[in-house]
Amino acid sequence: MKRRQLLVAAIGLAAASPLALAQSFAGKTVTIIVGYKPGGGYDATARLLARHLPKHIPGGPTVIVQNMPGANSVIAANHMYNVAKADGLTIGTFNRNLPIAQLTRVEGVKFDMNKFAWIGSAANESTILAIRSDLPYMTFEELRHAKEPVVIGSTGPGANTHDFPLLLKDLVGLNFKIVSGYSSSADIMLAVERKEVDGRAGSYTSLRPFIDRKLVRPIVRARSTEPGIDQLPVDENFAPTPRAKAIMALRSTPELIARPYVMPPGTPAEIVKAMRDAFARAIQDPQLIAEGKKSKMELEFTSGEQAQKVLHDVFSQPKDIVEEFSKYIKFGE
Amino acid sequence: MLDALWEGLLLILQWKPFAFMLVGVLVGFWVGLLPGIGGATTLALMLPFIYTMQPVEAFAFLLGMHSVVATTGDITSILFGVPGEATTAAIILDGHAMAKRGEAGRALGAALTASLIGALIGAAALALAVPIVRPLVLTFGSPELFMLAIVGLAFIASLSAQGARGMVRGFLAGGLGLLLAMVGQDPQAGVGRFTLDTLYLWQGLDLVPVLVGLFAIPEIIDLAVRGTSIAGDVPTGHIRRGALEGVKDVFRHPFLTVRCALIGTFIGITPGLGGAVAQWMAYGHATQSARNAEERKGFGAGDVRGVIGPGAACNSKEGGALIPTIAFGVPGSTSMAILLGGFFLLGLVPGPDMLTKHLSLTFSLVWTIVLANLITVAVCVLLLNHLAGLTNVAGHRLIPAILVLVFIGSFTSNSNYADLVVTLVFGAVGYLMVLAGWPRAPLVLGLVLGKIAENYLYISVARYGAGWLTRPVVLVLLAIAVAVVCYPVIQAWRGRHRAKHA
Repeated sequence: MKRRQLLVAAIGLAAASPLALAQSFAGKTVTIIVGYKPGGGYDATARLLARHLPKHIPGGPTVIVQNMPGANSVIAANHMYNVAKADGLTIGTFNRNLPIAQLTRVEGVKFDMNKFAWIGSAANESTILAIRSDLPYMTFEELRHAKEPVVIGSTGPGANTHDFPLLLKDLVGLNFKIVSGYSSSADIMLAVERKEVDGRAGSYTSLRPFIDRKLVRPIVRARSTEPGIDQLPVDENFAPTPRAKAIMALRSTPELIARPYVMPPGTPAEIVKAMRDAFARAIQDPQLIAEGKKSKMELEFTSGEQAQKVLHDVFSQPKDIVEEFSKYIKFGE
Repeated sequence: MLDALWEGLLLILQWKPFAFMLVGVLVGFWVGLLPGIGGATTLALMLPFIYTMQPVEAFAFLLGMHSVVATTGDITSILFGVPGEATTAAIILDGHAMAKRGEAGRALGAALTASLIGALIGAAALALAVPIVRPLVLTFGSPELFMLAIVGLAFIASLSAQGARGMVRGFLAGGLGLLLAMVGQDPQAGVGRFTLDTLYLWQGLDLVPVLVGLFAIPEIIDLAVRGTSIAGDVPTGHIRRGALEGVKDVFRHPFLTVRCALIGTFIGITPGLGGAVAQWMAYGHATQSARNAEERKGFGAGDVRGVIGPGAACNSKEGGALIPTIAFGVPGSTSMAILLGGFFLLGLVPGPDMLTKHLSLTFSLVWTIVLANLITVAVCVLLLNHLAGLTNVAGHRLIPAILVLVFIGSFTSNSNYADLVVTLVFGAVGYLMVLAGWPRAPLVLGLVLGKIAENYLYISVARYGAGWLTRPVVLVLLAIAVAVVCYPVIQAWRGRHRAKHA
């Protein structure tokens, strides 16, 4: 431990000037640890960033992506917190719901989200609920007064496909029948197509092609938003009690920092600052924007300070709200 | 439509797409050979390269790579008994047994020819299915998918040894497989099951380390214990011949090849069942072709039909798997999900348009599968007899190399040391099962189908109550499942009957 502290101190000294900062990255390899297997959104975002970050980090290091899947990325977060060196050469990105996992005391969590050196978030995510276009309900009000139960497909507890409609059903009283166990959101989409289910919740990004194709119609969204769905009603506004509203808000808060990027606790402040600047610039990089547009990934940087404020919102909830919340929401995905 | 078919071929035969396809084939070739590194991971790694390509070039590259992975995966499986891919484990049972008998060349020849024919049939099915794709896929709702999983499980009957004792052992092993599939967080209540308080098991057992342990470790122990080469005392000259014989074998069993290829295509088209299932169902079906008890015993000991079956299925499913991806924008597997990302990158929106406006591009995909496989098999056939020579290398030289491959292969699935533990544990289980004469195939089938069966059963009941039981396709599938279970029993009875009268 002593050696590690010394090392950190030494790096801190060395990193004091911009020139020294460049030296601490030049010729080095920065590894982005992703808490999922290749093929998903977290991985794709990290790989897009890895291609464009080197230009913007002083000293122009090589940036590579390493996948460390397992336990909905708790394994990767534990690694970042307990094992990875705080020398700026390891960056971690993981499940946005890990703050919820920590809040609800999920077993196996060995990190404190507040103590990570936060670079920030590379994107936010907007959850919406969409139903088949051939159903008679055009608006939220109409859906709310549906006589027949509306069947909503879900992948399982802990995913936004499940939790978002669950709160609408239990707290707002929508006439939903939630059927869970589909292997992926794509799988639910197919069930929508064959009319096995009437709709699903999910990120706007993943639902957009099907909305454009007029297979489904968006009805309601959570608080986090993006262009194209601004006009949709927000679930929280239909909450019957302040308590219900707090629970719905708590569920959607992590979506404001949907692609979290952190460095190990104790990373020297200069390095954290350099990395925040690098992320901010890379995400503004026209080349990255062009590539992102092609693959339907729109990145938006939320700085570390801002991310920590969002965390504060999560962790400052009164105990009774947290208890109530954990009755509905299980950590997962 | 014929125009589009022709146009698709011309598209792919332009020099740039063709060159990109060759590069893809080259990459896929190696990825397939190395155990553990799957096609999906490689696709994800290669995706950035397509930014600057035209759609035809990009798909020639990606699909060329993807469609040969399973082909060369067979080679590792047959030669060393190490599954080159999770989708090529079934071929080990008879393929590696043949290699041990000194018939590696023949097994490789049969496997590659079967997989070529499988790929051709799968591609043809893809082309033919274009007009009826949507109703076809939409017929299969959750209840039907559940029953398909049951039909898959029914094949345990064929994968077990004959007689009451064999059956009981087979179904017990299958039951163990189903139990193993329950490990991890359940998707209905989010409760952790059998996770042994470890984070590693939250998401269930990964198929690759289990398969590698179950099949590779017992072979390695066997090789070490025998102290010879894989092919034992069979002289080199003999081993280095035989590839042609394997090619001929496929044409000696034309109907089996076609039937298994169709099984593969069908499983491929059905999103949600996954590639690991097709090979086992095809293998189970191949064992049904045994005419008497004597022949049935040959399966697992190196019957070439046990190589042809899974060989034909494992590549035909690729053509099928493209169908839901293209027609609905709904991927059937991780690889297809990544390929779908490729579509978006290129500004294409998969969906009904792909079957009308972009039909020639769709057909160029079909042609890519066909051409990539033709090229791979042609190259392999030239190398086959040399590859077969590896089974003549002394065990003590081979084992270190195989062990490295085995452990690296398992480790790459999660980059977690627990992957190695799983490999070793299942290695021990596999070795004990081999010693005691318990079949391993049912265990794998249970593991592969367990989650699918559980989820779709839950969804069926939650959505339709008991009503799902009366759906016509469900009833048909139920009848097929019963027939599959009864078939070996009838077969055995007929065998005895004939013996009595002879």
